[in-house]
Amino acid sequence: MTDLKLIGGEDTAFLPDARPSLAQRLLFSNEFGLLLLIGLAIAIFSVSLPSFTSTFSLFTMGRQIGIDTMIGLAMMTVIVTGGLDLSVGAIGVCSAMFFGWMLQSAGLPVALAIPLAIAFGAGLGFINGVTIVRTGVHSFIITLASMSIFFGVMIFLSKAEAFNSLPPAVLGFGKLRIGTLVSSLLALSLATSVALSILYRFTSGGRRMLAAGANPRAAEISGVRTGRVFIACHMLAGGLAALAGLMVTARTGAAVPAMAGHLGQDWLLPAFLAPVLGGTLLSGGRVAVFGTLLGAALVNIITSGLLQMRVGEFWIQAFLGMLLLAAVLADRARHTLLRRKGMI
Amino acid sequence: MSGALLLQVSHVSKSFPGVRALTDVSMTLHAGSIHALLGENGAGKSTLIKIITGLHHPDSGDVMVNGEVRRFANPRQAAAAGIGVVHQERNLVTRFSVGENIMLERLGRHALSSIDYGAIHTEASKWLRLLDLDVDPRLPVSRLSVAQMQLVEIGKALSLQSRVLLLDEPTASLTQNETRVLFAVLRKLAQDGVAICFVSHKLEEVFEICDTVTVLRDGRNACDSQPLKGLVRGDVVKMMIGREEQIARRAPRPRTDVAPYLELTDFASSAGHTDINLTVRPGEIVGLYGLVGAGRSELAKAILGMSRKTGGELRIAGRAVNISSPADALHQHGIGYVSEDRKQEGLILLHSVLGNAGITVWRKLANTLGLLRDRSVIDHTGPVLKKLEVKTPSMHQVIGNLSGGNQQKVSVAKWIAAGVKLLIIDEPSVGIDIKTKAYLHDLIHELAEQGTAILLITSDMPEMVDVADRIVVMSGFRIRGEVENDRNYDRISRAIMSHIHDSAAA
Repeated sequence: MTDLKLIGGEDTAFLPDARPSLAQRLLFSNEFGLLLLIGLAIAIFSVSLPSFTSTFSLFTMGRQIGIDTMIGLAMMTVIVTGGLDLSVGAIGVCSAMFFGWMLQSAGLPVALAIPLAIAFGAGLGFINGVTIVRTGVHSFIITLASMSIFFGVMIFLSKAEAFNSLPPAVLGFGKLRIGTLVSSLLALSLATSVALSILYRFTSGGRRMLAAGANPRAAEISGVRTGRVFIACHMLAGGLAALAGLMVTARTGAAVPAMAGHLGQDWLLPAFLAPVLGGTLLSGGRVAVFGTLLGAALVNIITSGLLQMRVGEFWIQAFLGMLLLAAVLADRARHTLLRRKGMI
Repeated sequence: MSGALLLQVSHVSKSFPGVRALTDVSMTLHAGSIHALLGENGAGKSTLIKIITGLHHPDSGDVMVNGEVRRFANPRQAAAAGIGVVHQERNLVTRFSVGENIMLERLGRHALSSIDYGAIHTEASKWLRLLDLDVDPRLPVSRLSVAQMQLVEIGKALSLQSRVLLLDEPTASLTQNETRVLFAVLRKLAQDGVAICFVSHKLEEVFEICDTVTVLRDGRNACDSQPLKGLVRGDVVKMMIGREEQIARRAPRPRTDVAPYLELTDFASSAGHTDINLTVRPGEIVGLYGLVGAGRSELAKAILGMSRKTGGELRIAGRAVNISSPADALHQHGIGYVSEDRKQEGLILLHSVLGNAGITVWRKLANTLGLLRDRSVIDHTGPVLKKLEVKTPSMHQVIGNLSGGNQQKVSVAKWIAAGVKLLIIDEPSVGIDIKTKAYLHDLIHELAEQGTAILLITSDMPEMVDVADRIVVMSGFRIRGEVENDRNYDRISRAIMSHIHDSAAA
């Protein structure tokens, strides 16, 4: 960075480099905090639960982390715009059902059905995006409506029946391990995280998303077509939600209308928990891709630890709710800090 | 002149992460005195005001009210101690009535007590009368002019029984007439024993109304509560910038007769413009003068395609075109717009210097896969930022952390980096210190010399006379006339005003 100091004139001394060193930034980053908490949780559970670190336990935990990460990433790509997408669950289930129909009823090969299902999810995201941009209504209302519409139409078309005689390759992928521990689903989410990091960091499209999310008016005047960019964000969310739906299908070997609960609502908690814990700013314009991965990891480690300790499921739900509240409060604190520093 | 000592700031220091904002700063405010607080952008004026009102807490040093050391936890406590403040930004609830805004903190005793609108509006009209503001307290604030809103804010501060009134650039968005009204009010308040602290970049105003002055430079006292009497403008400027002011008296530039880059013929827009005829040639600086609300920024935005063209013709380099969005304007036609509202429209404060300076060139620099490397953006924008002497610790510094002047430089730099052929600059020196202002004026000239067509929108008459080649006068979303600029301030300001008044009479 030192060569860049050239930009400053003689008075640079008045404004010392406010950018902390790499080590400092890592130390104070959200990701580092999450890693500490993850380490702590693992330490506690592995001492009190001998089965916690068994190969099987770690494998299933990793698989669920993979799915929740994908759900969180889907939501993150919309939080970037300063909005949200309540329909991620519905889009995920609809795409998974479409996937099941293509394989079971239409007899399409898996290699063709996968990209088509993802494109289908992106298409549903496109509907969300266009409606939000054209009407100017907040994404909360639009996606609340589309969640019900997508899910309702899907139930009508599928008659609420599952597709459960899928080709064995689907379930096979869900069971696939890399080495002895790492689930193929976790690997897929890792790869997606890398791809998204590249998108936001190294592509003009990703930067436009961040710029438009942080300050749409300024971005628009600077030549960014914010409407198109927001639509692209929703399509990305739809595609990732579809991918998450396929992952769930691969885990269970069937496409089931109730796989994400009524209206896909069971996904909402992980969808918000992972990115917000990870440090994605709810007001938009700042992402934390690997933070989302770590957020999903923390949630799952604690959940499965508590489950193995035979804590009731409803207590865990309540606990996750509190965790989300804590994460949102942390987001507020970040927001206040940024405003104090004049960054917002 | 000097009444009782009401407020004393003594040896206050304050640091933010990475920035030392104030070092050992002192200031005293007396009853009946109008005190100027001066300094360039980033000198620490706003920080000082925020410390006085309890928004920030000093690292060391004291704030004393009536001789008593106070540490306000928040602005409400400061208000209770009689310190009223009007910030640069508007803080009104525009959908509420004038009266409700003035009495906002005292609408009822508790959350569920019913509101006595009669009493509120009677009480509010008392303050409106004091301010010579002839508006109905039942009117929603959104229906007021900018100047009236400013006065309502002052009324709100006063109604809290303020004995100390801090005004942060109250005249930035006022016309000369409105400023005169405001000053009459301030004088009256001072006579009644209020201590007023007046922050402004307009030194003419300071000399007109203030009697004592504190100057900050780089977060330190360049002078501490000194009588203004005996000082001249040059002395104050020297304290502010640490050297003599260079008065740029530019010779009128020869007229160019190359074909216009921008040509509007009988142009009308959905924003309400009618019969706009305007040309800007490459290398020419055309000034667009008008009062607030004349439709100048709206015209700029109509040219960018942000409101629909409803009639007439818009020609770029001789070709009639339709511009549908700012993206079109930039990428197809090379038009850039430096907004007057830097924080909302000009910059993305959350992002880095690099992210802001490069936003206009991402599209050009990305390869076919859309991949973009920091290195290539730095190569492209770095030289411009360096040339504009943007002071930042690094390209990755969050731009919200820079001073206003440096922010403004970046918001101009991004268009230079994009190599625009027409640059529309809207109020370039609002909230900018003298040094940066002079620098920007030189820059505008240099850009014109290099062949950029420039449309300059400003309400600052001296700036207009100093920078523009010719001045087009606007009011009521129409063009009212044109004045050739020979740099003769008196003649030009008279000519401009007569264009505006003729249209008002017609």
